[in-house]
Amino acid sequence: MENLINIFIKSIFIDNMIFAYFLGMCSYLAVSKKYKTAAGLGMAVIFVLGITVPLNWLAYNFLLKEGALTWISADFATVDLEVLKFIVFIAIVAAFVQLTEMVVEKFSPALYNSLGIFLPLIAVNCSILGGALFLPTRDYEFAEAVTFALGSGIGWFLAVVSLAAIREKMAYADVPKPLRGLGITFIIVGLMAFGFMSFGGFELPFKTTEQQQAEQEKSSAKVENKSAESVVNSVANYSE
Amino acid sequence: MSKFNKNDNKYIISYAIIMTLVFGSVLAVVALALKPKQDAEVLLEKQNFILKAALGEKAMSTMSDEEITALYSETVKTVVVKADGVKVETEEASINVFKEYKKPKDVRELPVYKVYDQADSNKIKAYVFPVYGKGLWDFIWGYVAVEADLKTLGGLVLDHKGETPGLGARITEQEVQSRFIGKEIFNANGELDAPHFQKGEGNTYEGAHKVDGLSGATITAKGVNNMLDDYLAMYKSFIKAQK
Amino acid sequence: MSTETIEKTNDKVVEVKKPSEPLFSKKRRQLLSNPLDEDNPITIQVLGICSALAVTVALKPTFVMAVAVTAVLVLANVVISALRNTIPNRIRIIVQLVVVASLVAIVDQVLKAYSYDIWKELSVFIGLIITNCIVMGRLEAFALGNKPWDAFLDGLGNSFGYAWIILAIAFFRELFGSGKLFGFQVMPDGYIGNGVMMSPAGACLLLGVLIWIVRSRSGYVED
Repeated sequence: MENLINIFIKSIFIDNMIFAYFLGMCSYLAVSKKYKTAAGLGMAVIFVLGITVPLNWLAYNFLLKEGALTWISADFATVDLEVLKFIVFIAIVAAFVQLTEMVVEKFSPALYNSLGIFLPLIAVNCSILGGALFLPTRDYEFAEAVTFALGSGIGWFLAVVSLAAIREKMAYADVPKPLRGLGITFIIVGLMAFGFMSFGGFELPFKTTEQQQAEQEKSSAKVENKSAESVVNSVANYSE
Repeated sequence: MSKFNKNDNKYIISYAIIMTLVFGSVLAVVALALKPKQDAEVLLEKQNFILKAALGEKAMSTMSDEEITALYSETVKTVVVKADGVKVETEEASINVFKEYKKPKDVRELPVYKVYDQADSNKIKAYVFPVYGKGLWDFIWGYVAVEADLKTLGGLVLDHKGETPGLGARITEQEVQSRFIGKEIFNANGELDAPHFQKGEGNTYEGAHKVDGLSGATITAKGVNNMLDDYLAMYKSFIKAQK
Repeated sequence: MSTETIEKTNDKVVEVKKPSEPLFSKKRRQLLSNPLDEDNPITIQVLGICSALAVTVALKPTFVMAVAVTAVLVLANVVISALRNTIPNRIRIIVQLVVVASLVAIVDQVLKAYSYDIWKELSVFIGLIITNCIVMGRLEAFALGNKPWDAFLDGLGNSFGYAWIILAIAFFRELFGSGKLFGFQVMPDGYIGNGVMMSPAGACLLLGVLIWIVRSRSGYVED
């Protein structure tokens, strides 16, 4: 549980999809003009990340990873389908997005009007595929993957909403003509990224088990050292 | 094309199936064809790293790929041990350090590369130990060479997956790695005391256990320190047994 | 979305074209040259930003990234353009993604076999070529409505437009960030790298300024 809280906080602030990895920049810049649309797309990203990353986790761990197919038969222990990971990940994302679009369109026209228009944009949002591509290297448990997905989505949401808020205010500023729009937005994003970099110095609320072990080992080592020292001292005293 | 109804479900499904089959098989063929070359690259990199750790960057920089492979097969012998120092029969080639890293420490199988002198094939030049750990973003790993006196660090090669370029990624730089050369892994009482990156950069340290740090890359540097601690502790029994 | 409307008008012009048009007619030359400056994918169309910021720390990986994107974009454009009359409209996004993903997987495998060092350096970002909006954007806006040869030229033009911008950013970042160019020391000894240039945030600022320069030259103004 503590580990999950760590991952959650880390993926929102420290490993923010936008400010640490610059993933999903295209739609980030395109929809951040208005606060309302930004919030809509942000919600859609949380939703799609929250579902597709766990789906991709299942696909990776039970289909693609070397030895992942052993649940079918032990003979497949050496089968390694990692080469297919790009296709499988993106197909899952795209299929899920289109399925959601169809379902939402049919059952909730109101939701479709507010959220549905963003769904096609999401299939090509780097943060969704990026989230999936981090899975093979990070080696999360299922619960951790879900937490990571939700945290990253919320981080993206925060980033897009805060940029949109700044840009709405920027409308009243007199920016040099060629710098208007994209140029000044990049400079704002750069400055925001500097701000978010300071989260990098955060001490996480809970220590990981590895850190705890290391600390225990260190303190026990100190005790050993001390006892060794005292033995040495007593020997020294004796010889005196 | 108008004779097909492109929005017909049957058409869509068969289109999807055919497309998947075509692209899937193209990919499979490419992957199979390139696999031997990729494996060779991975093996060559490993041999290069091991020799580099033992012999130093300068000796290796002018060597061609073939020369590296030849020198490796001529001068390197391997044993596999466990953390208690007992040899096991596993072949070195079948061990994946990353997979071992995920197992609990007491069952890990640890390869040791004994690099012999090229001129005198009975004289060991260095023992090279693979190490693995976590940096800031992702895994880091490397090879530590301990000289024949079994206490001096003869060389260190580090690599990483995704450390920050210009900050943590500097652990791959020759100059950074060479800061470890000549340091010692045991303290005066014979206890393990691996050389560590210190905080801050641009300082010179007295003594055999402190290494000038990496400014702006504290977490990566800590990762390297922990990695050295972890693995040298596991190899400790083996090292003691050699004396 | 203004980009798409511009493209739509372009498409119509191209559709009307007679089949006997020379291989390098004026319009076709424009397909190549426009994306370099006045219709640049990064500075004007705002596409493909992720990788522009993430991989531009040094020239060498940036160069490889540019080559990889060129290969993927040109091939994907040609393949989609060749298939354009058979692709069912409802699943066209998935079809495009599968084509691009396969090409990227091939590039990934080839790099791993022949340029192992750089493959390790680029890692996740090769995979992200799939969602590089330049690729999807050109497929949607151009390849679906044009002949393979035009799509080929369009792909080439856009990837060169992408390449020169990311190489320019990488040039400044590597020069000031680590005092090197293509890994060779160019700044005098003792030059201390500028950490801001190395961080992605610095890349954002640099890109903002670059956009400023390019746009004041071309006179393009966003409202």
